[in-house]
Amino acid sequence: MTAAVGRTWSRLTLAGRAVFIGVPILVALLVPLVLVITLFGGTIVDVLAANLPIVRFAVAATAVLLMSVPTAFVIIYMEMKVIALMNLRLGPDRVGPWGTLLSVVHGLKVLVKEDFTPTGVDSTVFTWAPVVVYLASVMSLLVIPFAPGLFGQDLNLGLLYFFAIGGLSVVGLLMAGWSSFNKYSLLGGLRSAAQVVSYEIPLTLSVVGLILLAGTMSLNQIVLMQSGSFLDWNVFRQPLGALIFFIAATAEANRTPFDLTEADSEIVAGFATEYSGMRFGFFFFAEYVNVFIISALTVTLFFGGWTAPFDWPWPVHAAIDPGSLGIGLLIALAVVPVIGTLVLAAPFWIARSSMPWWQAIVIGFVLFNLLVIVAVAGWAFISLDWVAGLFWFLAKTYGFVFTFVWMRGTLPRVRIDQLMAFAWKWLLPASLLNLFVTAAAIVVVGR
Amino acid sequence: MTAIWYIVGFAFAGVSFVFLTIGAAWLLSHRNRGDVHKGLPYESGIDTYGDTHARFGLSFYIYALLFVAFDIEVVFIYLWALIFRDLMLGGFVSMLIFVGILLLGLAYAWRKGVLTWH
Repeated sequence: MTAAVGRTWSRLTLAGRAVFIGVPILVALLVPLVLVITLFGGTIVDVLAANLPIVRFAVAATAVLLMSVPTAFVIIYMEMKVIALMNLRLGPDRVGPWGTLLSVVHGLKVLVKEDFTPTGVDSTVFTWAPVVVYLASVMSLLVIPFAPGLFGQDLNLGLLYFFAIGGLSVVGLLMAGWSSFNKYSLLGGLRSAAQVVSYEIPLTLSVVGLILLAGTMSLNQIVLMQSGSFLDWNVFRQPLGALIFFIAATAEANRTPFDLTEADSEIVAGFATEYSGMRFGFFFFAEYVNVFIISALTVTLFFGGWTAPFDWPWPVHAAIDPGSLGIGLLIALAVVPVIGTLVLAAPFWIARSSMPWWQAIVIGFVLFNLLVIVAVAGWAFISLDWVAGLFWFLAKTYGFVFTFVWMRGTLPRVRIDQLMAFAWKWLLPASLLNLFVTAAAIVVVGR
Repeated sequence: MTAIWYIVGFAFAGVSFVFLTIGAAWLLSHRNRGDVHKGLPYESGIDTYGDTHARFGLSFYIYALLFVAFDIEVVFIYLWALIFRDLMLGGFVSMLIFVGILLLGLAYAWRKGVLTWH
């Protein structure tokens, strides 16, 4: 009996296995869920309403965790496509429109690859190393203010929390390097420890000038302090601090031109040499989440966060309130789609005599839906301040992500002695200078 | 105080997310033990030579020492920066002295050639 099951199992394709496992699990979860909701629905709602902060936090934490996946996919795609265009290549263009789905395929590929543990490794530490590295990057997402009212947790020590969590990644990289029992891994791990530790000092010191000006470490407060036009952004008050922060953050995230820890022409893949499959995947997942986070933090600290770059009269709160239309709204919902579809379909049907009427209607329907999406997005942008905030935040952040990709496409890798000398001999004195100049300015101005 | 529990909860959620994904990968992927060479550490195609925990230069250790000194300094500077508007000139001068002493140490390390990578 078991042999028969085993044989059938080994013949199944991947999709077959997924269905085989997934459907029973789904049924087993759904039946109790429906039962519980029908029996205790009212009580559950009461309990949830009584613990609103906890519920809010649980939703935010889940959203942040799940958000990291598409973020990494988008950045991987940007990296492939943008660098290809900079190299006068085409880049991905087969999977999905303009190759946009290729990074999803990459993710699935890593998921189904063999996750091999070499015989010599310390398997506990070997397994936990990618977990620590991933946590060190994704936990920083908790304090980043995406939009007004849209953040994981508003800690009053947000900035300190960010640096404390970011520092954890050294531990993970050292764990990976040490537990692999491989010379390349060990060298890569030690290199990254020396590099990350050296750049941590200028990174933390470069924002002290900002804290002096703001008088707080809460990221939400720092964003509010920069509201107004783009002239109120901190980059104009702390230009040197912003520059040092950007350089040191690049080195912290092991990005080109400071990617010595995974210099593939020198030490194979550095600390990740012995890794394969999903555990390898999490190292790179963490790297791309890191790119997003340092871009997001640069935007939050120095480029106004979610505030608009110009002092536009947006958002106009509830420019059109759908509720005020009353019964008219219902009638509009029934009539407008039909009329809209027909109006948009008519030109195609008139102009192309060979086109059957149903094809014209399908085209009209699709066009009408696109119009509605644009209209709803525009309405939300104008009348909901968190939509506008999220738009500006993501636009600025992806601008910086593009800069990182651009740097990877242009700059050569620095030498390790130059790298260390730059951190200790240039960035550290410069950040101290920035600190004291800011403090002296505050003393002279007297407020 | 509750903020600590939020952070701990989020860390727990993150760890479970990673292990769920690794578990799913373990279910979906094929595995085989291979021969003895498959499990050896990668060394550009030859069998491992010597101890894999080889000794590396001491320079890594000195950077770590410098880091500890300056990182603790940073903790003090952060607190100082938060309440700077109450201290003003007195705070400015005392921080100048504090950082000056640390910079003396950095100058000593610089003079000794520690900051030059060998």
